[in-house]
Amino acid sequence: MREQRPQHENSEGPDRWEAQLRKGALEMAALASLWEGRLYGLEIIRFLETNSRLVVAEGTVYPILSRLKSEGMLTSEWVEAEAGHPRKYYSLTEAGRERLRQMADAWVGFANGLSRLLEPVLEERGMAK
Amino acid sequence: MTVQLHVEDYLADLRASLGPVTLDEREEIVREIAAHIRDSAEEGASVEAVLARLGPARALAAQYRDGLLIRRASRSISPVLLLRAAARLATKGLSGIVVFFVGLFGYFIGGGLVLTALLKPIFPANTGLWFRDGHMIASGTQLYPPGPPAHEVLGMWYLPLHLIAGSLLLLATMFLIRHSLRLSQRWQQKLGRLRHANQAGA
Repeated sequence: MREQRPQHENSEGPDRWEAQLRKGALEMAALASLWEGRLYGLEIIRFLETNSRLVVAEGTVYPILSRLKSEGMLTSEWVEAEAGHPRKYYSLTEAGRERLRQMADAWVGFANGLSRLLEPVLEERGMAK
Repeated sequence: MTVQLHVEDYLADLRASLGPVTLDEREEIVREIAAHIRDSAEEGASVEAVLARLGPARALAAQYRDGLLIRRASRSISPVLLLRAAARLATKGLSGIVVFFVGLFGYFIGGGLVLTALLKPIFPANTGLWFRDGHMIASGTQLYPPGPPAHEVLGMWYLPLHLIAGSLLLLATMFLIRHSLRLSQRWQQKLGRLRHANQAGA
């Protein structure tokens, strides 16, 4: 007797894949948001929402910033605002800048290759519509 | 007032759920999330909406714990920390489960070899490797060691040989878990690059 494989693995696949990709992309996006200068957590979230199509889950950003900091990619400092409360500002370290450069190079090369690969798929979808 | 209590409950839950994270890191995390809630509220968002966007305190804490535990363990030599990180990896997929059980087995057998090697000088007659008719019938420290015709073959060589074998197995287990933890981190980074590639292709 052959056992039937459960179907849910396939049906959940694309969503889970996209969720993992989104989560993974945040690392590069967070580094990129700090390229021009230091920002605090909420500013990073707003920057990403405004300047990229990434829908940012706020609860995901802070653990990523914490991880990048402990990997030496970022530094942080608490800054007392003139009016208001202290905020934790993040800045890129030299290692962080170098990592972002490498990520950007890899992304551009990979994205160009993938765009060519996906052209027929997208054209067919366009014709169907 | 109720809103303030709501925030305090959330932060208390977050602090409690960050258990394994060091005290300094824990306070830093709670302080930053408190600042985020205040900043968002100043922008005009309701506290309920801000907390909803942050997600449940326990889920938020789990994300911090995963990142910190796996990264710290990938540079550690502590079997407890490594096994805890491997257990966390085991919740993420089949390969993690394999790493956890191989790690558990490696530490158990490696630790056993080292322990019996150290027991050899204390219980020389009870510790050894016994053969009968060309087949190994017992090894380690035995409460009732096999009598003739079985015979012990290593003598005091048992100590260095098992000490070396046990230490090598413990080291191999440590490197296996650390390597797996680093691979899992690299995999996360690759997913990030793929995501951007996908956005550009779409």
